[in-house]
Amino acid sequence: MASANIKDVKRRIKSVESTMQITKAMELVASSKLRRAKERAAQSRPYFNTLYETIKNISKDNAFKGISKSLKERHALMIVIAGDRGLAGGFNHNVLKMAVEKIKALEADGYKVSVMPVGKKAVEYFRRYNYPVFREYQQVAETITAYDCIELSEELVLKYTRGEFGIVELCYTTFVNTLSQLPKSVRILPLSIDDNTGDTKEEKSNEPESEGKKYSASVLYDPSPEEVFELLLPKYFAGIYYGAVVDSYAAEQAARRTAMESASDNAQEMIDNLSLLYNRARQAQITQELTEIVSGSIKNSD
Amino acid sequence: MNSYKLKIITPEKTFFDGEVTQIVVRTSEGNAGFLAGHIDYVSNVVSGPLKVRVGEDKVYRTAAVSDGIIIVSGGDVTILPESAEWSDEIDLERAERAKNAAEERIKASKKSDSEFDMAQIKLKRALTRISVYNQTHTQQ
Repeated sequence: MASANIKDVKRRIKSVESTMQITKAMELVASSKLRRAKERAAQSRPYFNTLYETIKNISKDNAFKGISKSLKERHALMIVIAGDRGLAGGFNHNVLKMAVEKIKALEADGYKVSVMPVGKKAVEYFRRYNYPVFREYQQVAETITAYDCIELSEELVLKYTRGEFGIVELCYTTFVNTLSQLPKSVRILPLSIDDNTGDTKEEKSNEPESEGKKYSASVLYDPSPEEVFELLLPKYFAGIYYGAVVDSYAAEQAARRTAMESASDNAQEMIDNLSLLYNRARQAQITQELTEIVSGSIKNSD
Repeated sequence: MNSYKLKIITPEKTFFDGEVTQIVVRTSEGNAGFLAGHIDYVSNVVSGPLKVRVGEDKVYRTAAVSDGIIIVSGGDVTILPESAEWSDEIDLERAERAKNAAEERIKASKKSDSEFDMAQIKLKRALTRISVYNQTHTQQ
């Protein structure tokens, strides 16, 4: 009986060890991907920050009615960004839960909501629960370029100006630090700069105050402020979307890294416990064998 | 000639950052030249060639830029195009491929579609790159 037990324990130790190897590897991969995601976000920041400053100054100098029109359309689009893979703790679950809450709130207001899931996990989720899907994207977060985002946002803004959507909302996970990631939702269209300043403040706060002052009210807009604004809008929206995809990707990697780290720790603990068990069983077996030999020899000498 | 600071920033990188004496850029109202000391100004840039003159150079350096915006603020000029390529770095084959793909898309889609508009934008970008490439390479 004892020898069977030893074999079992040994097999379990082996299996836990190989699991630990995988979790260790995933942890390393996640941390290197996290670093790259951060770099990527930093690269495109100057472009979108300058755009943001310009669009802010235009709307400060001029009051438009054009693009921030009233909510006549009862159709809303919810963009949900989640991960392509699981094994990242509560990462996917948290953002999806929040998205569903937001969708319910919109529906309660009488909106018809279409979903645009980004990331395999989001796509699978909204398919399973039969939500009307506007379009879906899988496996894009790792390789997405700002250029792709501009294309998408040009299309969405076009649809918005044609009245196909009255509201566009975005749900994603923001990277706070390596230990905490928060699901977050932003209403991007209809655009109101004042509301957005609150959301984008964290990114911009590192800029000096004087940046805004350099623009005076006497700036010449050619051909007109409205036309400049119209060109800027899809790019501005692309900036938010791109930022969100990269942010969410960084958050996913951070979540996975933490999850895998604790998985590795747990595996190590299990191995320790099992080794103890194994050694005890081995000792017990040796003791028993000795007892058998000794008792046998005592009997013989009698 | 006085020089001023020019920055060209695309979503991918800072494409150019340095002192120049003159640039010529295509805006939605036509070609516009900028010298040092320009008043504060914002305009839409359309796909086309961008000519940059550094110091007292006789030749302009040409780049193909796509839709974007030009901002003059306090004498400094910032251009934010979606993409920018120096004429000697343009991949003509890739541009031709993009052009053909866009043309096919236009044929396949209806005029009311948003896909039609997208294809048109792409076609314009490809044509700009091709024409900038041809212009600078026939001169030399």
